[in-house]
Formats: sequence, structure tokens, C-alpha cells
Amino acid sequence: METKKEPLVRVSNLTKVYREGETERVVFSGMNLDLHPGELVVLLGRSGSGKSTLLNLISGIDEATTGKIFFGEVELTALSENDRTLFRRESIGIIFQSFNLIPTLTVAENMLLPMELNGRLSEERRAKALGVLEEVGLLNRQDSYPDRLSGGEQQRVALARALAHEPLLILADEPTGNLDLKTADQVMQILHRLIHDEKRTMLIATHDRDILNLADRILSLKEGVLTEVKIQDIAGL
Amino acid sequence: MTTRLLRLSSFRYLLKHPLLMALSILGVALGVAVVVAIDLANTSATEAFRLSSEAVTGRATHSITGSRDLLDERVYRDLRLNGSIREAAPIIDGYVSAPGDPGRTLQVIGVDPLVEGPFRAYTGAADSGLDLGQFMSARPTGLLSAFTATSLGITEGDSLEVAFEGKRFVVSILGLINSESEQAARALDNVMVVDISTAQNLLRMDGKLSRVELIIPDSEGGASLLQSIENVLPEGAQIEPSASKTDTLAQMTRAFSLNLVALSLLALVVGMFLIYNTVTFSIVQRRAMIGRLRALGVTRREIFQLILGEALLIGTLGTILGLFAGVALGTGLVQLVTQSINDLYYVVRVRSFDVSLWSLAKGMALGIGATLLAAIPPAREATSAPASSVMRRSEEETKLYRIIPKLVWISLATAVAAFGLLALPGNSIPLSYTALLLLILAFAGLTPGAVILFTRWFKPVLSLFGGVVGRMAAQGTVTSLSRTAVAIASLMIAISATIGVGVMVNSFRSTVEVWLSYTLQADVYISPPGLVFRRNDATVSPDVEAVLRNAPGVAAAYSVRTAEVTAGGRPSDLIVVEPGPQRDQGTRFKEGGRIWGDADELEKVVVSEPYSFRYDVHVGDSIDIATDSGLKTFSVGGVYYDYGSDLGAIMMSRKTYEAHFDDRGISGISLYVEPGKDVEEVIRSLRIGLEGKQEVLMRSNRSLREASLDVFDRTFTVTIVLRLLAVLVAFIGVLSALMALQLERARELAVMRANGLTPRQVWKYVTLQTGFMGWMAGLFSIPLGLVLAYVLIFVINQRSFGWTLQMEWSPAILIQAVLLALVAALLAGVYPAWKMSRAKPAEALRDE
Repeated sequence: METKKEPLVRVSNLTKVYREGETERVVFSGMNLDLHPGELVVLLGRSGSGKSTLLNLISGIDEATTGKIFFGEVELTALSENDRTLFRRESIGIIFQSFNLIPTLTVAENMLLPMELNGRLSEERRAKALGVLEEVGLLNRQDSYPDRLSGGEQQRVALARALAHEPLLILADEPTGNLDLKTADQVMQILHRLIHDEKRTMLIATHDRDILNLADRILSLKEGVLTEVKIQDIAGL
Repeated sequence: MTTRLLRLSSFRYLLKHPLLMALSILGVALGVAVVVAIDLANTSATEAFRLSSEAVTGRATHSITGSRDLLDERVYRDLRLNGSIREAAPIIDGYVSAPGDPGRTLQVIGVDPLVEGPFRAYTGAADSGLDLGQFMSARPTGLLSAFTATSLGITEGDSLEVAFEGKRFVVSILGLINSESEQAARALDNVMVVDISTAQNLLRMDGKLSRVELIIPDSEGGASLLQSIENVLPEGAQIEPSASKTDTLAQMTRAFSLNLVALSLLALVVGMFLIYNTVTFSIVQRRAMIGRLRALGVTRREIFQLILGEALLIGTLGTILGLFAGVALGTGLVQLVTQSINDLYYVVRVRSFDVSLWSLAKGMALGIGATLLAAIPPAREATSAPASSVMRRSEEETKLYRIIPKLVWISLATAVAAFGLLALPGNSIPLSYTALLLLILAFAGLTPGAVILFTRWFKPVLSLFGGVVGRMAAQGTVTSLSRTAVAIASLMIAISATIGVGVMVNSFRSTVEVWLSYTLQADVYISPPGLVFRRNDATVSPDVEAVLRNAPGVAAAYSVRTAEVTAGGRPSDLIVVEPGPQRDQGTRFKEGGRIWGDADELEKVVVSEPYSFRYDVHVGDSIDIATDSGLKTFSVGGVYYDYGSDLGAIMMSRKTYEAHFDDRGISGISLYVEPGKDVEEVIRSLRIGLEGKQEVLMRSNRSLREASLDVFDRTFTVTIVLRLLAVLVAFIGVLSALMALQLERARELAVMRANGLTPRQVWKYVTLQTGFMGWMAGLFSIPLGLVLAYVLIFVINQRSFGWTLQMEWSPAILIQAVLLALVAALLAGVYPAWKMSRAKPAEALRDE
């Protein structure tokens, strides 16, 4: 762990409360978290524990009730909705459990979308993006629409899309949760290569033991409290 | 700006739903077509009238007119002798029919060719080669525009038979007028130029002129010249700028045209709701995708632009299609509009259908503008939700449920505001239509709540019809309320528009029927043939009158004279009646009462309800009328109901008329047959007695009543056509909205199929659900339709024309509305049901 480096992401005293009719549901309160450059952090927790909420807050998709999230020098929580969106598309890559590809765009177009949104789609970048697609083994499917792909293929496209624009941080929500063992293994190999070769900063919400093995740190989110755990302390995985 | 890939994604979505896109385009196209068609028809009629007015007016700046639109020719002679003005020309103008070509009306312009030079180039300029000797001879001769001559199949030297007030004349065509420009040719279409004495003979205006035209320079010298002419004019004659009469006539049709425009806009509003529905649907269907895009970093603004871009594409395609359809429809509607104008206001003949760029530009702006306007609320809705919740559809339903009570209150407040606007004093028609729009919005806002209530009440009924599938079909309407409510509201609005217009026409017709039943009391009505139905100021010749009054079997005869006079400085219709016990029953009063027999009868008139409304004249007020003996002030003794003309009329007794006007002619006569005598028998003997005399129209009570209702129906044909078009838009709306909704449920139905629903049950499910929704839309449209009809009848009609109407509706209109919704809804279900029942559940489930 490179704890001496300045953190890439600093979550400070974060609280998220949902209002459900007349009642309020506190997902977490006063949470603190640092993510360092090149670090892979795995987030554990039962369904409904707030893992996805935390990812949504860090990506700026959702807004915190109180507290601050810093991205380097930038205070994400102080940005407007529009600025958060612009920041997200520039600096964050997201991998969803349900892939979330755009059904009306081809595989290649899905990949290129984040770069086009950033206005940085050059020939060089296009070639590089297709290189990522090749890396995930789907270059020959670049003109296919998502509904023609299997679940594993769709997730590999989602993975490639999250990486293609070279974001500072990759957030992944159960990236292998919807995949069979073989496909999950393929996805894991790609993740493994990324982590070791490219030293990307990642926060992954998962139960996948193979990913746990790759993690620099494992955090457990239980009843709104985030605690660091060792892999050997985790039973049943 | 949205990126190329976003636009591509959006375009592919539209292509993936071709049926939905086609129906949306058709919705916009129909709305635009109706608006453009009405605008083009109105413009063409107005333009035709303006051109024909200008053709007659020429370069004249002022004209001298007399009372009843007649001026003694001595006024012209004295003006000439006086020597104060050189540029003065006498004019007679009127209309004759051409029996050889039924339906054709020719405008006769009587001129003095010797003084015409400065006024009109075509009427015998020195270098025209016209044989003045022949032109001014006693034999009827004339000039005809080359275009008209060609269309009549005659040429120079031929003769043309014309008829005026039942008398026929043969006119020798001395020459043809060749116009240099297309516009001049159009202006002179159906114009026949004759010598002034020929015109006097043809139009029975011995010793009279229509007016004297003058060219007075717009300078100080001109002003003093004007003053000096005014000083020498005799009583009853007046001088006015030439343009003012044209303007006044154009204003007559203002309310008529405005209401046609408003009705056509109603079709566009219905189209707008369809667009709203389509865009809402496309967004609801893509909520998850929008959420993904937002998560990937697409901003709200970009999503908003994307959705508006789609609407723009649909709007542009629909508008272009609508413009073409509008031009095609307009060529048909222009005939209906001019027929109405001819029946109600003045003679106008449209030779060419003008496709003005301005009309097309307005149609373009309206079509695209309306589409974008309709797309803004759903586009805002799609972008206002946080990215985290956009991906969850249940969020949308929960939110709608939460806001229903608030929506009900807002809708009620909107309705109260609408009624407040309607209650405001004044006669603003645009304000009335704004209130109408607010009422429509209020009803739309109440729809989600009503859908929940109705589903709760009628779920057992559907369950009875379809068992568990029926229950599911009912429940499905509520679980997807965010989509079903919008569709049902759109359909309700489309259908209510057809009810509103239908009930209005029905009410109008039944009120006119009642009015005719007490107005037309005599057994036989006789009048010479005229050109404008509502105002026949032709004159019955005295020998015919004598035969009619003294015919055997006639118990009583009452004459009527209609004339145009200047009252309160405006041209107004004057109706002169011969009072009598039977005749008096034909007039019912809203204010005041009969004045005949009053001591001051000679100073009194009564006015019709539209006149009272138009000029704010009531019992006790006074009206200045230009009589043959100068300007006289009459007091108003009553306001009577009259549905014959929205322009209004002044009525006076024959005795009063003869005391103030030199005219002794009558325009028509009504006869009461002696009890026990056969009316048809009396008519037959009258016809024998009138043989060889002036041609007159002799109509029994029944045939006149039928003829009047025919005219009524004819004038409302254009309204009925508009209603039918609104029905068509509504039908397409029902079809597209419900079809889209069902197609969108492919996945839901696939889940059901996977869980054991048979293809047959899918049919049942879809059909019951669309039928239920269509039925609800039809049912909800009844109260809204009746409210719209109420506002159209009691507010908009009142503010436009001033008529008191009785609201009448036939159950047929309401049943038709519900059936329309139901049939369209069931039809809308056919394709999705067929598609769903054939689809493989596995594929549909995968096709996320």
C-alpha cells in the first residue's frame, strides 16, 4: 500500500439519508475513506448495505446528504449537477452489474461514446480504443449491437468502455455478478492485467473471491460503517 | 451540442420504431394540413375580394355615395357643372348571373368611357381601339376580360345572355380586355365593363349611380378641394376614402375567418397532445437508457437537446408532409369557405387558389413550434430526475402516485382560472380560446386520478369478461399509470374536440330550426332571384306585386324590402316590413318589443340581436341613418332574435321607410292563403298569372324552410369538415398511443408468456386492456366535450356573433365519441396482440 502518497479520492464525513414517505433511512453516516492512486479497493457488503450508493456518490451520479468528496484538489460535492457530470465523463469509468450498454449503438460506438462526449475522439484514440476491444477479445464483434452479444461479451464491452477513455478512477459494481464462472474468469483476467500492467485506481463492489485476491485493501460496509478486513478473516468466501 | 454518436443512437431508436414514428409524423401532418388549408382558403377568398374591389376602384382616392348605396346621377352632373374637380367618374357596379353557365356571377361595371382615362386603364382608354359609338349606343354592349370570355367559350363579336333579378338581357361583346399581368387578369376575372346607361338599364338603376369616384391629391390643395366638394353635396350624399368600404366589407368576415382559424388550431392542439404523448412514451421507454447515458457523463442539457432533436425531426417531416396535404386540402376548402362567404356576406369568386409563401411559412413555424412545445415538458421531465433514479422505472410510478392529490388541486385551480377568464368582461376571442385551452389542461390533469378510480370500480367487470386475464389487464392500466394516463388524456382531448364542435353545430342548427318555425309563418314566399342568400335586395316589379296581392285565394300579403343603408357611419342591412297581425308573430324580442303603431313610430327602429351585440346598441339608444332626406336619428325600440346574419340588421316599418326614403320597391312578398285553400293550387294559379312577367322564385313555407336549412348546412360544411378532420386526428391518436403502449410491453408480455400465458390469452389481455383504456378515454371525453361545447356556444359564439343559442346535443354524438375511442382502441390492439402472440418469449425477454 502506498499510503504516503496523496489520496486520489478522499471521502470525508459522508452521510446519505433517503427519505421514504414520512420515514428517513440512513444508509451511512460520517463515513471516511481514502483511495490512493494505483490502488485496488474491494468493497464488501450485503445487498442493500449501501455499496452501490457509495459508488454512485463517488461517481457524482448521486448527491450526498452531508459530507465531502475530494477528487485530488477538486471537491466533487461542491460541484453543480452539470459540472459533476462533466467531471464524471472526463475522469471516471463505470462498470455496472447489468452492463448498461446503449442498445442503439454498436459495440465500437458504445466504446467510443465516452471519448466523443469528452470531445477527444481522435484517430489515435480510436485506434487505441479498438486495441482495448481487441484485448477483451471482441474486435470481430465491433459492428454488432449489444442485444446480439452474450452476457459475458456485453460485460467485456462494458469493461472496455470504462477503460477506453483512460479515466483516473474505475468504479465497478458487481462486475462479475451476472456472469457464469467461465465468463467471470475471463473478465477477471482482464481486470488482473489492468491492475498489474496499468496500475489503475479501482473501487470494486463484489463478492468474487478471485477479485478479493487481487485487492490491495478490502473494506466491509455493514450497517453504515466501513471497516477494513483481511481476506483470511472473511468466512464463507 | 449533442455528439454524433448520441444523435445516431437517437435516430436508430426512431428507426427501430417505424410505426410509432410514422403515426407521430401523420399526427403533426394532419394538424398542420388543417391549419394551412384553412389559412390558404381564407387568404384566397380575401385576396379575391381585394383584387375585385381594386379592379373596380382603380386609382380613385375617394368616392361619393348616397343612401341605400344609390346616388342620384344629378350629383355627378352638378359636380361637373360646378367645375371644382376634373377627375371625377360615375360608376355603377352590381352583379348579374350568366344563365348559360349556371353558378357563374359576373360583376358589371358601368363607366363613362370619356372620363375613365385617369381611373382605369382597361375601360376604354383612348388608345384601346374601342369603338366608342357602339360602346355607348342604346344596344347593350360590353367588354369582357379575355380569360372570362375563354372560359365562357365566347369571343369578340359574340353575344352573352345575362340575368338580373329575373330579367334577361343579351349583351354584345365588343372587345376583350387583355391584361398585362397575371394579377390584373385575376382581378378582372368575371368582370364585364359596360357603358353607364347600359348598366342603369341592366341593373334597373334609372337615374342612379352606385357612386362618383374622384382622384384627389394628398396635399393641402386636395384637402381644401375635398372640403369644397363636401360643401356642395346634397342631403344623403357623402364623400369617403375609397379604401374604407373595402375595409368594412373585409371586417364583416373577421369573426367568421377567426373562428375557422381557431377551429383549425384546435386540430393542431390535438396534434400537439399526440406529440406530447409520443415523446413521453419514447422517454418512458428509454428511461433506463437515459439513465445509462447520464451515468456515462451525458449532461441534462445534452439529453434535453437530444429529445428536442428527435421532436424536431418528427415535427419537420410531419410539417413538410402537412404543407403538401394542406395545399391539397385547401383547394377543396376554398370552395366551401367562399360558398359560406357568398351565402352570408358578399359575392366573391375565387379564380385561383393562392399558395402564399407567408401561409406556408406560418404553417411551418406552427408545426415545428407546436411539436417542440409539446416535447418540452417530457424532455424536461426526463432531465430533471437525478441520474441515480432515472434508471428505476418504479420511481416514475411512485412519483406520479405521490403527486396525484397535488395534481387534482392544480387542475381544479386551472379550471377555476379558466372560468375566471371566461367571466372577464369584454369580447376577446383569443382570451376565450386561452380559457378553453386551460380547461383542456385541467381535465388532462384530472385523468390519472380518474383512471385509478375507474379501474378500481370496473376491475370486477373486466374480471367477469376475462377472468384472471381481465383482472390483470385492468391492473396493468394502473401499474403503468405514468404512460397509460398520458395516453388516455391525449385521446380524451382529441375526442372531446369532436364532441365540442359537434354539439355546437347541433345546437346552432336546432336553434335556427326553432327560429325558422316561428319566423316563417306565411304559406308562400316570393322574391326575384338574388345573388346573396341572406340579403336579397332585388326588386319585385310593380306589375308582379299587383298580381300577387290581388290573386284569388290570398288572404293577406306582406311585403319586405331589404336595402343597404349607412347607419352610424357603417354600411348596414335595413329590413323594411309591412306590419300586420300574422306578420307580427314572426318576430320575437330579446329586449323591448314591437314599435309599429306607436305614436312616434316614424322615429323608431328595432335591431337584430347580432346588430345590438356588434355595435353595443340597446333599447333607448339611438342610431343615425343616412336617408334620402339626409341624416336622421332613430331611437331603438327593441332587439329581436335573428339568426339570418351575423352582421346584424335594422328593421323599420314600411310606413317609416316611406317617410324617409324615396324608394317604393319591394324585395319580396309573403302570402297567407285563405283557410281551406290548397297552397300548391294557389301557387299554380299564381304562376299562370305571372307568365311573361318578371321571373320570380316562388317557394312554399316548407321549401323555403328547407332552403334556409340547406344554406345553414352549407355554411357549416367547412366546420363539419374540420370536425371530421379532428375525428381523423383523434383516431390516429388513439391508434398510435395505445399501439405504442402495447408494443412497449413486449417484455412484460414475454414474462407472462414464459409463465404460461397462451397466445390466445395474450390476445385477450391486449384487447381487453386497449379496449378498457379506449372506453375510459371515450367516457372522460364526454364531460370535457360538453364543457368545450358550452364555452363554444355561450362564450365564443356570443363574443364572435352575439347570438343566443340553445345548447342541444343528441346522444348520437356522445355515443359516436365513445364508439370512436373504443373501435380505435381495439384496432390499436390488433397489431401488438398479433406480434406478441407470435413472438418467442425467450427472444422478447432477451431483447432488453
